[in-house]
Amino acid sequence: MQQVLLFVLLGLGSGALIAGIALAVVLTYRGSGIINLATGAIAMLSGYAYWSLKTGEYGGVHFATAPALLLTLVITLVIGVLIEFVAFRPLRTASPLAKLVSSLGVLLVAQASMLLAFGTDQKPQPTILPQGTVKVFGNTVPEDRFILAGIVIGIAIVLAVLYRWTRFGLATRAASENELNAQIAGLSANRLSLGNTLLASVVAGGVGVLAASVTQLDTVSLPLQVVPALAAALLARLTSFGIACAAGLGIGILNSLIDYFSTKSWFPTDQGVPLPGTKELIAFLIIVLAMFLRGAALPGRGELVEQRLPEVPRPHNLMTPAVAFSLVCAVALVVLPFDFRQALVNTLIGTVMALSLVVITGFVGQISVVQLSLAGASGFVVSHMAVDAGIGFPLAPICGSIMAITLGLLTAVSALRVRGVSLAVVTLGATVAIVNFGFINSTWGGGNTGSPVPEPHLFGLDLGPRSAFRGLDGSLPSPVFGWVALAVTVLLCLFVAAIRRGNLGERMLAVRSNERAAAAAAVNVRNVKLLAFGISSFIAGVAGSLYAYNFGSVSADRFDAVTALALIAFAYAGGITLVSGAVFAGLISTEGLIPHALDKWFGINGNWFLLFGGVILLFTLIQHPEGIAGAFYKRLHRSRRPGGRGERGSLFTAKTPAPAAER
Amino acid sequence: MAATVLEIEALTAGYEEAAVVRDLSLGVGEGEVVALLGANGAGKTTTLRVISGIVHPMAGRVVLAGQDLAGTSISARARMGIAHVPENRGLFFGLTVAEHFRLGHRGERLDEEAAYRHFPALAELRDRRCGLLSGGEQQMLAVGRALARHPRLLLLDELSLGLAPLIVERLLPVVREYALESGCGVLLVEQHIQLALTVADRGYVLSHGELVLQDRAEALRGNRDLLMASYFGERATATLEADT
Repeated sequence: MQQVLLFVLLGLGSGALIAGIALAVVLTYRGSGIINLATGAIAMLSGYAYWSLKTGEYGGVHFATAPALLLTLVITLVIGVLIEFVAFRPLRTASPLAKLVSSLGVLLVAQASMLLAFGTDQKPQPTILPQGTVKVFGNTVPEDRFILAGIVIGIAIVLAVLYRWTRFGLATRAASENELNAQIAGLSANRLSLGNTLLASVVAGGVGVLAASVTQLDTVSLPLQVVPALAAALLARLTSFGIACAAGLGIGILNSLIDYFSTKSWFPTDQGVPLPGTKELIAFLIIVLAMFLRGAALPGRGELVEQRLPEVPRPHNLMTPAVAFSLVCAVALVVLPFDFRQALVNTLIGTVMALSLVVITGFVGQISVVQLSLAGASGFVVSHMAVDAGIGFPLAPICGSIMAITLGLLTAVSALRVRGVSLAVVTLGATVAIVNFGFINSTWGGGNTGSPVPEPHLFGLDLGPRSAFRGLDGSLPSPVFGWVALAVTVLLCLFVAAIRRGNLGERMLAVRSNERAAAAAAVNVRNVKLLAFGISSFIAGVAGSLYAYNFGSVSADRFDAVTALALIAFAYAGGITLVSGAVFAGLISTEGLIPHALDKWFGINGNWFLLFGGVILLFTLIQHPEGIAGAFYKRLHRSRRPGGRGERGSLFTAKTPAPAAER
Repeated sequence: MAATVLEIEALTAGYEEAAVVRDLSLGVGEGEVVALLGANGAGKTTTLRVISGIVHPMAGRVVLAGQDLAGTSISARARMGIAHVPENRGLFFGLTVAEHFRLGHRGERLDEEAAYRHFPALAELRDRRCGLLSGGEQQMLAVGRALARHPRLLLLDELSLGLAPLIVERLLPVVREYALESGCGVLLVEQHIQLALTVADRGYVLSHGELVLQDRAEALRGNRDLLMASYFGERATATLEADT
């Protein structure tokens, strides 16, 4: 019992960290309606700023604690201003998904720039809080845990008071309820948003500096604390500071308790080590349970312009581009040198992955981060069936897809009550849980090394990347696997385009634009959502099998949360509502053609690519909120439109979207 | 007519590419109550939205007390003295009545007492959340808050929407009284024509986005046939005249 208490108290430290970031998430959401995935990254930036000032890493000046803290505050404020003006303000009227993706861009840029500046090794952050210990019921507990928790609780109280009593707080509450009415009342939404972003930066940054005693300073741990923090913020419905703070502390304590229990003999083990991923699984289950019980819809914001996802034009003339694309790729797979051949195969698989998002997010408007994990699950099934049971090509991928569909439908059950950005948070939790509980497990996942996948064979023919036919330069990978991937990609592209053209696609779009209206128009919203999740999970499952065969093994790190978020970013930048957008997404996805070319010709790789990727992502979002493919489509569409833009008819004809001839 | 508060010159405005209001010119003087009348879809609300900056004009100018408002943001216009009570009342359901009166822009203090003076019923509801108020109470709060800001120009959009006529009959005279004592100009959009014309000094009638009739309120009140006909547009008027 005494031990339990000790771990509860120790958990206050990491709990305070989670709670602090959760408070910043809530602040940002109330101030500007953005779920800021980069909140943990801001904590990291401030942490690095303080570390370099204190240790004299840059400039060689060793600052004392007080001036270093002051300078860190200034730097944090500058970061806040930058984020507000570069990532948030230009997207004020964009869709929630665009906002989410822009905060992801900030996360990528922050992470990459810190990696470039400080490298991957962990820095020992100099401590600020006193290092003494106190005796509590016979336990010796470091006193900084109490101080840290006290500070965070203090911040929560101050914020609650600020929001309750001050004019700034009142104005923010008003603006988050109805932005237009607030502006009519003379409140500047921009200024309020800036104020809240700065406040959130200071809270997150402060926690980042003070949390030194709990966590090491590196480019992964602090940014990823945003996942449990989002869970806490979601429990608080992104509104209540008190609940966010309490939930954050609670999650920290729970994690600490799991650490304690995992030392016990009764704790389930996996090949000698305590079952990995239990913390993440429990965190996810808490989110799902809370969301399900409360049926929580996040408080929406009454904004100036109703935010929508980009339009979903009906594809016409499918055959010509499909045949042209197939021919070009089929030839390229033979002619290209081996490295570009591999990049092309990666691009094709990335395209399939993005297609799964086109269906679920582009057509039905459900932001699902979990798709990549579904692909991973399918990949692991393929691997384990081959290794453990000797079952090979056609059957294993089919089972893999069934696995993906099953998990996808389980996610869909939560999506029946949760939608929009909250679904993004829930599925992010699911991703983290699946990766840590499923993939890292060495029995049913791949452990730390990964799990091998043998070549696919059909009728004695080797269809894998090690097939005998080696293309013009005679090296690996074989074009044969590329052709298989190409055939699958083209078929799935046609399949998705056909969905859009058919009756199902129209029902999906009805659900996307307004669930109640769709239900009133006799669309079965539940079934459409389940079907959409099923289809998109199937596509993700196919992509997962392709991944597995492509790399000859599956491992957890290919499917982690950051990669899953990056996939959404690529898909969004490519054009999330269009099949052609998925192709663009494939081109720019990790290890795809464009990154490979950039690396090969300009030497932009690794962290530099991440940095460039983040910057370009933000730029694309601001310039073309509908994505690259959407921008192309618009240009093409406009030039085709008879009469062009200048022509203005009567009130009624002007509102007719497009002349019939063009359909 | 006293000094002009608001002047609209040759305004054309609308949504996307469709003009809803075409070539509209009107003015509101100090202490004057002007009614903007017309059938559904005539462009009344759009005109108010252009004045407060929510909709950008395609052509024409909006001038507040001699200052061209082009390029001025919604909130800046509000700070310059435009108080707009939109159809949805512009309130915040999560805030209490008293909090609505603390909700000013920087450096602004709302004259809470003035609002309670005009609407004594509000004083008792001070600590109640706006979302729990009845429609009439909400409308009182909306108008009361607008008056408490001591605006130069008050824009009222369909005060009567969803309210019992009795309540509207109480609200409008308050507006009239306030305009007289403070010199604030009032532009009133209203479906209850007769009611609006009893408090207004002048009236404009829009039909399909065009100004078809303007006159003093008594004159409009007196010429019911012409007023009705103007609701249906000029052509209807012409047919009406041909028939008679």
